[in-house]
Amino acid sequence: MDFLQSATGLALGLFMWVHMFFVATILLGKDAMWTVARMFEGYFIFGRPVYGLVSALVATIATLFVVHAALALRKFPANYRQYRTYRDHMKEMKHEDTTLWYWQVVTGFALFFLASVHLYIMLTRPDRIGPFESADRVWSDLMWPLYLVLLFAVEFHGGVGLYRLALKWGWFEGDGRDAAGTRRKLRIFKWALTGFFLVLGLLTLAAYMKIGSDHAPFYGQHYVPAAPSPRG
Amino acid sequence: MSSVTDSAPPAAAIPPADAPKRMLHFHVLRHDPQDPVSIPHFEVFELEEAPGMTLFIALNEIREQLDPSLAFDFVCRAGICGSCGMVVNGRPGLACRTLTQDLPAEISLAPLPAFELIADLSVNTGKWMRGMSERLETWVHSLGQEADLSRLEERMDPELADRIYELDRCIECGCCVAACGTARMREDFVGAVGLNKIARFALDPRDQRTDQDFYELVGNDDGVFGCMTLLGCHDVCPKQLPLQTQIAFLRRKMVKAGL
Amino acid sequence: MRVVYTDVLVIGGGLAGLRVAIGARRRGHDAIVLSLVPPKRSHSAAAQGGMQASLANVTKGQGDNEDVHFEDTVKGSDWGADQQVVRMFVNTAPKAVRELAAWGVPWSRVRQGDRQVIINGEKVTITERDAAHGLVAQRDFGGTRKWRTCYVSDGTGHAMLFAVGDRAIAEGIPVHERTEALALIHDGKRCYGAIVRDLITGEITAYVARATAIATGGAGRVYRVTTNAVICEGIGAALALETGIVPLGNMEAVQFHPTGIFPAGILVTEGCRGDGGLLRDASGHRFMPDYEPEKKELASRDVVSRRMEEHIRKGNAAKSRFGEHLWLDITLLGRKHIEHNLREVKEICQYFLGVDPADQWIPVRPAQHYTMGGVRTDHTGQTPALRGLFAAGEAACWDMHGFNRLGGNSVAETVVAGMIVGEFIADFVESPEGEIDIPTAVLREALAAERGKLDVLLKGSGSEQADTLKAEMQQTMTDNVGIFRTGADLQRAVDKLQELLVRSRNIGLRSRRDGPNPELVTAYRVQKMIKVALCVAQGALTRTESRGAHFREDFPRRNDAEWLRRTLATWSDPRATLPTLNYEALDVGRMELPPGWRGYGNKDYVDHPDTPQRAAEVAKLRETLGDAGRHSVQAALMPYEHLLPAGLRGRNERIDEKLPP
Repeated sequence: MDFLQSATGLALGLFMWVHMFFVATILLGKDAMWTVARMFEGYFIFGRPVYGLVSALVATIATLFVVHAALALRKFPANYRQYRTYRDHMKEMKHEDTTLWYWQVVTGFALFFLASVHLYIMLTRPDRIGPFESADRVWSDLMWPLYLVLLFAVEFHGGVGLYRLALKWGWFEGDGRDAAGTRRKLRIFKWALTGFFLVLGLLTLAAYMKIGSDHAPFYGQHYVPAAPSPRG
Repeated sequence: MSSVTDSAPPAAAIPPADAPKRMLHFHVLRHDPQDPVSIPHFEVFELEEAPGMTLFIALNEIREQLDPSLAFDFVCRAGICGSCGMVVNGRPGLACRTLTQDLPAEISLAPLPAFELIADLSVNTGKWMRGMSERLETWVHSLGQEADLSRLEERMDPELADRIYELDRCIECGCCVAACGTARMREDFVGAVGLNKIARFALDPRDQRTDQDFYELVGNDDGVFGCMTLLGCHDVCPKQLPLQTQIAFLRRKMVKAGL
Repeated sequence: MRVVYTDVLVIGGGLAGLRVAIGARRRGHDAIVLSLVPPKRSHSAAAQGGMQASLANVTKGQGDNEDVHFEDTVKGSDWGADQQVVRMFVNTAPKAVRELAAWGVPWSRVRQGDRQVIINGEKVTITERDAAHGLVAQRDFGGTRKWRTCYVSDGTGHAMLFAVGDRAIAEGIPVHERTEALALIHDGKRCYGAIVRDLITGEITAYVARATAIATGGAGRVYRVTTNAVICEGIGAALALETGIVPLGNMEAVQFHPTGIFPAGILVTEGCRGDGGLLRDASGHRFMPDYEPEKKELASRDVVSRRMEEHIRKGNAAKSRFGEHLWLDITLLGRKHIEHNLREVKEICQYFLGVDPADQWIPVRPAQHYTMGGVRTDHTGQTPALRGLFAAGEAACWDMHGFNRLGGNSVAETVVAGMIVGEFIADFVESPEGEIDIPTAVLREALAAERGKLDVLLKGSGSEQADTLKAEMQQTMTDNVGIFRTGADLQRAVDKLQELLVRSRNIGLRSRRDGPNPELVTAYRVQKMIKVALCVAQGALTRTESRGAHFREDFPRRNDAEWLRRTLATWSDPRATLPTLNYEALDVGRMELPPGWRGYGNKDYVDHPDTPQRAAEVAKLRETLGDAGRHSVQAALMPYEHLLPAGLRGRNERIDEKLPP
């Protein structure tokens, strides 16, 4: 079970990185984002958007998410006494990895709700992914506060999670002689990555909000790329 | 390096006598669980710092001069036996080899959590460790006949012997358990001390248990899969055991054994 | 009335006690171990350097065997040891190492090929044999002619204690932790167990046993400066003493270890010198070769400690604000060696001194280290005076150490004596003598007596403070019963200790709760400790000669004519303030190795009148038997094998001494 938890966590973590890059293509321009969105719909293979593909992908991620969450629940404090014990322990110890776990739990808990909402929308409305469509959702549907919190929660949870995974299974330790050095490097790397994705995420969100507010009068209108697509 | 017969003596390592003296305040968590009216509380003892003072020296001075009823445990007072684990300013460690010069003037001392409290700073680590040893069967299981003591001993690769000793250095002080968020929340978790023992016996060819046997012992959420890699254990271990690496090693091994 | 019944009651959970219990258990008897602390915290864990056993695996150990180990041990003892017991010991030691190897002790092993070592300050290359590859390795230790000390890096005692402790758990032996024996139950002829106090709850219980073994370790804490753990207070010896009939043997024989770190007294292992470390004075001069040109830093401990103090007296000490000391220099061993083979030493220096021993010298001065004396037993470990009472390890005067113990022989004694006494105690339990029939009235009285003593302390109106008495006793011992002894100093000590003993009968407590009360524990222990200290001081005062670790400046010669005798101290009257001393002569006529010069230290001694005759006999026998083989010669000189338990007889195989398959 621990292995499954790790594996689903790893998959989700890596997916989140990739996902962030795709979403952030908006920073390269609306066309870039449009291209990426259509690509997932198989537009360039079938010549038309097949929303089922997106739904299938979302369903896969949602399954991973549910499995991961269910397994991770084992590790949550089972009652208030355990929660208090941990809090007290953490405050006394002032130990980074111990404190990080607490925040991992808190963000994980938040993700139960935030990510569920996001996944549900994606599952039910796969057609509404695009430069204008997404921007409308962010701005006019007032989803941006959710996305803002979700962004922090995901990046933090994922960053710590992946860092812990590496330690947990002893990756990158080589012959184990410099495990402390590996851990130090991993920790720096983790914070750097979290920082990078947060900045990227915030910029992306800002971009959608800008587009969304500009586009608000035309809510619901689909984006049409400026340049014709290769086969379109 | 110095020559064989004569060599210049090195500079004295002990700090000069005229270093200013501090007054230390020890905030000690007092409680006698057998006394129905006792409630846990911090009591403050004031002591003048002396050169080279350790918590062993300080606590004995408190007991001799200020409060003869203060309970705490020391045995070897040399960092070897693991009796004097306590929480010093929030972190578990061995009191006997903690120098007061490395601490601020306000020092808080509390018994190791996760173990049964005897009184004040004294906890029953022995009972916990015996329970762990019985549960994980922390001894060499040599199936079959006893060694003939008159004959040459079985050979062992010198490097392997060193590697086993590296893990055998655990002194069962309990610091790793007290520093473990998992163990604090879940009483049945075997802790780094238990996992390290399994890693030690798994490495030892004289122990004929298989990975499957070890999986029966620690292949669950009270064992290696309960560990959340908080690494408090690794960071407080007074013997600097490679717990991070060993637990990771054991986890990989147990996943394989579980498949 | 709380009563617990068992076959074998072992008081003390260190290596010796645990091994005795395992021996009895394996013979099918119930055993309970009482321990002040969790057994893995026992002082056995502090034996860093190693365990002597003549395995002769390393090149520098080639040619070693029981005979050489025997001679080294007897010479080390300054002929104070019981030579038959030494023979039993040296023959069992290799078996003990091999048993522990099978139980999981990760002995450091021999690696074939060349390696660099430091001998006498010089780099030397040693080539290990291919045939020895992977066998248990040996290192050099003081007072030995061959490299004989088997070791586990520098955590030998720790690794042994954990293996034996875990074995006891595997055997299902209950260890009653945090319990303390207050008195033995006996009727003047037979021991029936002990009255035991639970250190957590304060409850007292009668433990009734068919055989009782004392394995409580040494009495180092009667001194202020000692390498011993704080629980080594000689309480086991005091339990025997307070029976009024069991004698303590040779309590004046106290070893001082040359390298206690200064001023804390924490031990740094003899392995430091064994591996090539040097002793230096204030000016950085290596002074040991000036005194001991042959063995230098590796003479026996009594000799090195004495030479160090002598050198300090001549004004060569380094001075710090805590007083005078000398230096131990291991920088020449190199950082790699120190961090690999002397890691505990490095940790101790780092944590207690703030010194890195790979770069800096270590301040050292001799500190009390070992109690050669103890509960006098016969070769089976049983006390002749009180049937059913046994003793093993440092608490016992089995007598393989005489007046000075060799480094590496103590941790070896714990397991060897444990193996041997464990068998004999099982034999005893199985014999008709092992039956007991004890009226409950005896138990009730014994319990009431101890309860009464505790109540006097808890509820009485005494005015003396236990801590103060203890501190004064320790200071008295360190000041007056140390390495150099004189009649005047010893008399001063005896007078002072008598005064303290009287005062200890009037202790009042500030903290009056039963249960976990450290002041109460100090109070009843200090009453016992002062008696033990008096046995040491009075024995030393009366012994007007110098032998091994007992050195009288006013009687600097060893005097075999008058003092080839073992001191036996008993305390027959509880109101007395001095022990009664008797003496047990050692029979020169039966010695395999008649008294002579040790090969180091003082060459000047007075012979026993029987020595020349026995020496001639031995020489003649050796000549007649010629090439009959060393075992036959030995058997002719001093038969001993019949004294061993049947299962532990027989020769030991070595690379160069194959046994028939």
